[in-house]
Amino acid sequence: MRLKIDLKLCQGHGVCEDEAPEVFRVVEKVGAYDHVELVVEEPGEELRPKVELAVRYCPNRVLSIES
Amino acid sequence: MSEHTPIHKLGGAKPETGHFLEFLENPAHFLLRAYHEGGELTEIDLGGMRNVLMVGPDAHEAVFRAPDQQLSAAAPYAYMVPVFGEGIQYGAPLELERQQVKMQANALRASKMKGYAGVIAQEVEDWVANWGDEGEIDVVTEFQALVLRTSTHCLMGTEFRNKLTDEFGALYHDLECAVSAEAILDPYGAGEIFEKRDRARARLQEIVMDVIEERRAEGGGKEYFDMLDTFMGAEYVDGSKLPDEQIPGMVVWIMFGGFHTSSNTAAWTLVELARNPQFVPQIKAEVDQIFGGQSGGNLEYAAMREIPMLDSFVGEALRLHPPLCTLMRQVMQEFEYKGNTIPVGDTLVISPYVSHRVPEYFPDPERFDPGRTPSDNVFAYIPFGGGARKCVGNAFAMLQVKAIFCALLSRYEFEIVGDPEDIVDSMPSLILRPSDPCRVKYRRRS
Repeated sequence: MRLKIDLKLCQGHGVCEDEAPEVFRVVEKVGAYDHVELVVEEPGEELRPKVELAVRYCPNRVLSIES
Repeated sequence: MSEHTPIHKLGGAKPETGHFLEFLENPAHFLLRAYHEGGELTEIDLGGMRNVLMVGPDAHEAVFRAPDQQLSAAAPYAYMVPVFGEGIQYGAPLELERQQVKMQANALRASKMKGYAGVIAQEVEDWVANWGDEGEIDVVTEFQALVLRTSTHCLMGTEFRNKLTDEFGALYHDLECAVSAEAILDPYGAGEIFEKRDRARARLQEIVMDVIEERRAEGGGKEYFDMLDTFMGAEYVDGSKLPDEQIPGMVVWIMFGGFHTSSNTAAWTLVELARNPQFVPQIKAEVDQIFGGQSGGNLEYAAMREIPMLDSFVGEALRLHPPLCTLMRQVMQEFEYKGNTIPVGDTLVISPYVSHRVPEYFPDPERFDPGRTPSDNVFAYIPFGGGARKCVGNAFAMLQVKAIFCALLSRYEFEIVGDPEDIVDSMPSLILRPSDPCRVKYRRRS
């Protein structure tokens, strides 16, 4: 699965991390809002349901699934 | 963005005041008129200050993606500094303010919502418990009273909620009375509203500090699950603690973000339910299915967020009646947009109220239709703003509104007193609300 992250919209709420900690983590950033990072570059298909929830519930609509 | 969209200069400016008086009369209606005359980009004159109303998703995206150093939120909202306090939000340097936003977001994280859902459900149950079989309510006042209780409870804990909600509400009222046209012109001016504001702010400082000191004295022996607890443990990135004396400002700030916005959204949702009865049976069926037609006593957050028809209904109420109808940014470094260079000192105005009525994205915009297909463009629908400064209380607000309507719809039917079409968007302050009178009759479901 390939994911797209639009970091300019991210405030680091961490909803994605709560939904799919295997895929997302929120990191602190000096001089900006915290933001999300991928734990694995291309998460496996078995994680798709969790990633879909993360995409759906991201309050800032930062995430999308590319393929 | 190579095409040039000229900025239209809005007609009807008066000598000296420009459009300021018309703006104050009803900002939402004024800005809608500006859009109808000028389209995507319209220049307005607020008493000598040049403002540019920017409408539609392209404009939103450009503004929301611009860095704070270029487009400042702090500058146009300087009148909030004496309300929240020095050192808090726009009274703090940008770097600290951003960290404070994060502390607010942490207090509202998904993992905390379950605890809040329990508190809110209990408050809603207590509130509705003495409604009886039928009656009549003043919608705006009723939801304000309820949201004041849920807010103080989730923010400050049970003890504070039980003892101090009324005083807190009255002090809060004095603060918000000072967020007015006079304050925009000079927030440090003389006058009774400002004296009341400063007295109220000082007293709020005391009552919140009292709770903090009590809790510190307990030495961590007791656990709390309210927002105050999050603030008391909050740290800046350099490892220093959020100073206790800044916490009351955080409390006031989060109240300003959530109180009238949530209560007026609930008010509008009820008004729209009562005047669009054709949608109600499906939503009731959905609520009954999820809660078994029972009271909302076990409203869990997980269940709360999956009520698709109620969600869309509230979403449509937020489209037509977004509580914050203007979002402002001051240009600190020249801003390019569609062939225009907007100079330093101008203010950019984004209006969810206006943008939610752009027919290309919302056909037949004034029609209330919860069945609209959401636009693929994430910047078309912006009731919570967007970008890095988007509202951090989005999920909390929806949780609250949905808890209220699960409890109400599972028990009652509603009917507006008088002509439903008499209720219109009104802006006695900077937040959009239903006009007075706004009364609803309720009757227990058969």
